[in-house]
Amino acid sequence: MRVGRRPYWLIPLLLLPVPLFLDQYQQYVANLILVYVPVAVGFNVVVGNLGLLAFSNVAFFGIGAYTAGILMLKLGLPWWVTVLPAGIMGGIAGATAAVPALRGVRLFYLAIMTLAFGELMRWVYIRWEPVTGGSFGMSVPEPSVLGWALDVEARKFYAFLVLVVLMIVLTDRLLRSRFGRAFVAIKGNEEAAAAMGIPTDRYILLGFAWGGFVVGIGGSMYAALVGHLSPSSFDLTELILQFAIIIVGGLGSLVGSVLGAALLTAAPEFFRDLPGFEELLFAVLIIVVILFLPRGLASLLGRVHPVFNDRYFRE
Amino acid sequence: MLSFLPQLVVSGIATGMLYALMALSMTVGYRATTVVNFGHGDMLMIGAYASYVLVAGIGLPFGPAIVLAAALLFLLGAAAQRLLMQPIIGGPHLSLAMMALAVGYALRGVARIEWGNDVLKLPRAYSSGVFVLGPVVVTTDDLVISGVVLVLLAALFLVFNVTAVGKVIQAVFQTQRGAALVGINVKAFHATMWGAGAALGAIGGVLMALIVPLTPDIGVATLVRGFAAMTLGGFGSLQGAVIGGLLLGIMEKVLGFYVSTVFIDITAYLVTILVLLIRPKGLFGQHATLRI
Amino acid sequence: MNHAGRLTSTAAALVLLVAMAPVARADNTQGITASSIKIGNLGPFSGESAVFNPLNYGPEAYLRYINDQGGINGRKFETIFADDACNEAKGIAAAKKLIYEDKVFMIIGHPCSGVAMAIKPMVDKEGVPWVGLSANPKITNPVTPSMFHVGYTGIASGEAMAGFALSNPGVKKIALVQHSNDWAHGYCEPATAIIKKNGGEVVVDAALERGSTDATAQALQVKASGAQAVMGCLYQPELVVLLRDLHKFGVNVPVLGALGADFEQTVAQVNDADAVKQIFFQPYQFKSPLGQGSLKQFHDMFLKYLTKDELPKSGEPTNFYYFGVPAAIVTVEAIKRAGPDLTREKWIAAMESLNKWDTGVFADTETITHDNHDGVHLMYAVGVSAEGKETVYKSWGKPAE
Repeated sequence: MRVGRRPYWLIPLLLLPVPLFLDQYQQYVANLILVYVPVAVGFNVVVGNLGLLAFSNVAFFGIGAYTAGILMLKLGLPWWVTVLPAGIMGGIAGATAAVPALRGVRLFYLAIMTLAFGELMRWVYIRWEPVTGGSFGMSVPEPSVLGWALDVEARKFYAFLVLVVLMIVLTDRLLRSRFGRAFVAIKGNEEAAAAMGIPTDRYILLGFAWGGFVVGIGGSMYAALVGHLSPSSFDLTELILQFAIIIVGGLGSLVGSVLGAALLTAAPEFFRDLPGFEELLFAVLIIVVILFLPRGLASLLGRVHPVFNDRYFRE
Repeated sequence: MLSFLPQLVVSGIATGMLYALMALSMTVGYRATTVVNFGHGDMLMIGAYASYVLVAGIGLPFGPAIVLAAALLFLLGAAAQRLLMQPIIGGPHLSLAMMALAVGYALRGVARIEWGNDVLKLPRAYSSGVFVLGPVVVTTDDLVISGVVLVLLAALFLVFNVTAVGKVIQAVFQTQRGAALVGINVKAFHATMWGAGAALGAIGGVLMALIVPLTPDIGVATLVRGFAAMTLGGFGSLQGAVIGGLLLGIMEKVLGFYVSTVFIDITAYLVTILVLLIRPKGLFGQHATLRI
Repeated sequence: MNHAGRLTSTAAALVLLVAMAPVARADNTQGITASSIKIGNLGPFSGESAVFNPLNYGPEAYLRYINDQGGINGRKFETIFADDACNEAKGIAAAKKLIYEDKVFMIIGHPCSGVAMAIKPMVDKEGVPWVGLSANPKITNPVTPSMFHVGYTGIASGEAMAGFALSNPGVKKIALVQHSNDWAHGYCEPATAIIKKNGGEVVVDAALERGSTDATAQALQVKASGAQAVMGCLYQPELVVLLRDLHKFGVNVPVLGALGADFEQTVAQVNDADAVKQIFFQPYQFKSPLGQGSLKQFHDMFLKYLTKDELPKSGEPTNFYYFGVPAAIVTVEAIKRAGPDLTREKWIAAMESLNKWDTGVFADTETITHDNHDGVHLMYAVGVSAEGKETVYKSWGKPAE
């Protein structure tokens, strides 16, 4: 399955000098990639590892972002203090979204229901004007960490990097533990798993809650990076983007989450000269990947070196 | 205030007819392949644009335009199923869902490139009229839409229950393996039914084009309503799809008027969540045999 | 441990180095050479809001026209388009690319209000000149030194809508029908303020979402409330649906549309003279009917300088092209006034020197001062007369000229 502890320490270290080589625009794009990594990681836990068709990821993302934003704007808290609450709110949202799954709702029914959850959240952002700023959205104050203002993109990069590494390490630990093995069993054959005595309900709840937590952290990073939250940022188009990230990257794979986030955030920037074609190119990319590379980019890299084969199950 | 109720119900039914058609067309595809077509709304949208091109661009009269649009979408739907969905059948459900979604998104991208800078409107096919029946007002559009949907329902009923082809379809719905054993080409069946669903969706799109200006995004809202209607009526049930659609239309109007218009957009979501939590089978559940 | 230790301390040193380093500021002649001026044109060229990119092509046509005349002081305009898809994250990327990589002199655009708010801190900090057309007045109120609105904001339009409705004697009860988004609220909120200020009453506040196929509940609410006028803060498709359904249920009170719809297209798409005659009005930004009078030269300009893909399918420029073009007209005028030694500061000073300056497009003249960066305020209204003719009105029942 994997090679050793080394990969984790090397990569973030290799990334440290990155801001020296990037201009403000490129650095922003790199930061945006970092924001989407936990979004993808959390999404992948539920959809890729647990194997449940949950379309609620944007709800967790939005709740995390708005939690951070509201705490910063209304309570004057510095950004770094709001990160954990954002994750916790995301986790609670995840647990809520798990309810239909716990009642046995599966497949397309679960998909539609969780999609409805996401859209209802967007309705709440719009209607709950005194708290969320309504349809005008809210502009959040400048983020800071322990007094160190994150006023340039490079500083945000380092702050985000810490969070991203943390989320990846923790998720990896989770997936390698007995919880992760239970996920594999549930994804493979839920009834058999239950018959074997695995308390599937508990693990499903855990998977959703963890996924929501990680995505919520990503949401707090989004608030720090973009600075202005509006309900329209958390709509179905955003959901499609997040789906594309994990499908293109590789379902159930941490490497895939990173690759997908990187590719789908950076690629549109290269296609800036062809506006209007974006929707079409995007759709074609998804179609091509599903048809010809169903295990995502991570599987491609996996052929190069086994360290990239971190899918925690066989298929 | 209650004086408005009859009007709300009637208008709700008129709108509900569109939802019913949407749900019906999705159910046809679903019954055949057990895959929900997340791109169905965009097929409806392409059907609407196809009719615009035929009527406004080429100058075809309305009747032939509908038929031609339906035929085009039949081919498009069948081809999409055969080339893009069939190869991955048996794979993870997520891939199937995303593939359907991506096809729809691609169609939207094409529509955006071609017509994205404009808001277009289908020229009138018949003069607009208003009929007053007691406390209720009905337009020609309402009658045309309802009429077409009812005719389609009747036709579907006849096809499924009376014709030989219909019996074959019912058989395959019941057991695909048995059908294959008997020599029925199941792959062709899948493609055909998907195409039929798309064609029905296209007709829905044309009907929509009668009452609403066209933008590439008109499919999305209807897709959501279609889902809600299918859920309410019971996934896989054709009569459920119709009843669900009509009920949804009525609920939106009544809730919107008496409670608040801000609920109209989320009625579909609320219905979906409540039904799946309380009675997942919906009104008519899932039938082993086909019944309209 | 040693090896890892050295690696870590090198890394830490690098981090400190980068974190401490001040960011190089773009200087105030960025984007200007002896022969060219780089303009960033930011807007939605993809996605749901792509239908509004005529607001970006209008000014571009004017810049191409000026280039054809030889430019200003020997400098020609070089436009770099950037797509924001009406999305904040993407919009920031687009703006950063324009400012830091393409190094434009200024940004013209009408980023969607959400994008404008998201890029505002950066634009303000870098002092990049910005001439925009988004509806949200918060972008230029309070005033930021380098950002200007030369078109009618939501405040001006909302006030015009309410003002016109109230100029009809006896009208006190007004209904609102609007989308649940910031654009619509940007019109209907100022309208509400004017209504209340003049002793009127908002009797209905109904939501009509994008993609709605009918407005039965909303129309019946209006009917039940006895409203004497309706503010329709809606985009074109939904405005068409509302007008049709109000007429269907016999609610024949004046309906004021917002600036998200093209007047002539809306009338054509409603396709029912009785539904719009003396009923449908829109605030009117322009001096003359589209393509006529002083607007004719712009009509011809659009057709001459824009490609087929940049014009609508019908070939006829819609109101958004005209709405967008003054952004370029005013910008060019300020560049002229700033003289051959062009810098950002001089351009800003030139903008603030505009006093009752006629763009040739808008009904009002542009007046910009240090404390007011919203150039125009007064608008007329356009409607369909009893004879079925498109007419511009100063107030209810009083045609202009």
